[in-house]
Amino acid sequence: MKVPPQTSEIFESLIKGQFISSNSSNPDIRKLYAIIEDDQNFEELYAYFRNINFTLEKGEEYFYFSRVENKVDLERKIEIAFRWIDIIDFFKNFDNSFGSGHRFTPSDILGRVKIDADLESKLEGLKKHTGKEKYQEIIEKLLSMLVNDTYIELENAITHQYKVLASFKYLEQLILTINIPEEVKNEISK
Amino acid sequence: MNTFSNVKELITALNREQKLLTEMFQKRKSLSYKYEYALDLVEGQDSRIQYLLERSVIRLNGNFLEIDDQFLQFFEQVLEINEEINTSYINENIQNIRQNIIYYFNEPNEQRKYNYLRIIKNTLRKLGSITLRNVVDLKRNIETTFKNEPTYKIKKTKLENLDKKRKDIAVLIDLTDKLIYEDELTFFKSALDEELNRIIIQLKIQVGKCTHNLIDIEKQIIDFLNQIKYQNNVIEKLRIIKHLKDQFILRTVTDFDSLLSLNSSVLFEPNPTFPLKLSLEYLQTDEDAYASIKKVVKRVGSSSTLKRALAEKISSEYLETQNEEEIQINLEEVKNGFVASGYNLFDFVVNYNFSKVVTFDERVTIFCQLISQYESIFEVTENFKEENEVEFAMVYPK
Repeated sequence: MKVPPQTSEIFESLIKGQFISSNSSNPDIRKLYAIIEDDQNFEELYAYFRNINFTLEKGEEYFYFSRVENKVDLERKIEIAFRWIDIIDFFKNFDNSFGSGHRFTPSDILGRVKIDADLESKLEGLKKHTGKEKYQEIIEKLLSMLVNDTYIELENAITHQYKVLASFKYLEQLILTINIPEEVKNEISK
Repeated sequence: MNTFSNVKELITALNREQKLLTEMFQKRKSLSYKYEYALDLVEGQDSRIQYLLERSVIRLNGNFLEIDDQFLQFFEQVLEINEEINTSYINENIQNIRQNIIYYFNEPNEQRKYNYLRIIKNTLRKLGSITLRNVVDLKRNIETTFKNEPTYKIKKTKLENLDKKRKDIAVLIDLTDKLIYEDELTFFKSALDEELNRIIIQLKIQVGKCTHNLIDIEKQIIDFLNQIKYQNNVIEKLRIIKHLKDQFILRTVTDFDSLLSLNSSVLFEPNPTFPLKLSLEYLQTDEDAYASIKKVVKRVGSSSTLKRALAEKISSEYLETQNEEEIQINLEEVKNGFVASGYNLFDFVVNYNFSKVVTFDERVTIFCQLISQYESIFEVTENFKEENEVEFAMVYPK
């Protein structure tokens, strides 16, 4: 079996639960993406990682790992998914087009919080996930959480501009796959 | 209302006020160009603004000035920065060509016939460039709308309207095609001259370009609309899910639990750590490893040394010099005096005239001190005496 020389880098990144996104501004990540995207490489990497019980998953413009056998208990997953729902809800409220390719700065968010009471109350609600008190600190903590999970990245350190990566679609997909019964939906819409 | 009587007058007027018009044209989006600002640019001559107002080059709207729509459109079109896509203009030109073709056929006079042909040529030439311009404008408008329009509903409607415009242009292109290839075949065959031929080829190339561009625009618009729809879906769904979650019923009314239990993504796992042991052989033989060990030892060693507790600063009070006088009794002198006298030591000490007041008890102490210090030159006899309840030995100099 012949795998690309960057296999260890790919593994190191994916094993941490991170994503390899096509629109990263880091050229190293883009290079890794290009390598995995190659059909032949993908097949080989898929088979290679399969041997050690990982599945290389292909999303829309991003790659990530899943286990062949589930290793995490449900409670932990629910806790994490709940946190994400709160966080995505906040950012989607901040800007409806918050999604892959979107660019923003923390001060944009802070500015909106000041004039949008709904957004402010949502930010208040995020205190429990961040353990911070000041708005600015909460936002910074949220952003660092998203950066660590590779959903966004700091594109320009001077202007403090962040960019949403393709992997954000994973979260959107997760939301879309939740099946809400029609009657519940109708009830809420009313 | 006055009008310009000829082109020269118009151009002279525009040239004279070029500063003002340029400035106003640049600020045309803000819609708030104050009369006072304008006065500064015409060197405070109110009459010059009045002149433009009278000829409807600019209009007064409350306290604000704006360029008249006719001129604004003219500038925008000539400079190719217009944002409105005007399909009626294309349509008008097509009609114009058709009419002129009819005139052309019915006109017996060669001279006039030639005039009509000239108009047709001009219009055909215009038609191509206008259509192309419209297509370019459309493309730019679509992208600007998608990227810059913040409100979702407006963005969607705007894009849908632009899509309608695209269809209109497509229809007009079809009409143009039909005009050249089918409807007026007789004309294009009979009135053929070299220039017309060239214009038609040019027009065909431009129309072809437009068609290709339109196909691309259609693709893009569909893509944009899909993206908006997708985003909208996500937002709608997210809203409901967030609501359910806040009501604590998300897990019961939806398939949330089963969905997550099927999801085995690594990203739900805590960050893995790999506590691997180093190879002993490597540690013992490798030069780099040795250097690293030394580094670690240096770090660990230095951090484990206790920091010495520093005493507090000595208060300056302690450092001040203070004089204290104490009168010391010189035992040597007392002894010398005693040796010279003939008394016994005790009586001598009791009666000795010291330079300060000395009590009886102190005198007894001095007595003892003298004996212990100068024992060798004193003779301590076995005889005892008693005074003030103190029993003492009789001591004489040797």
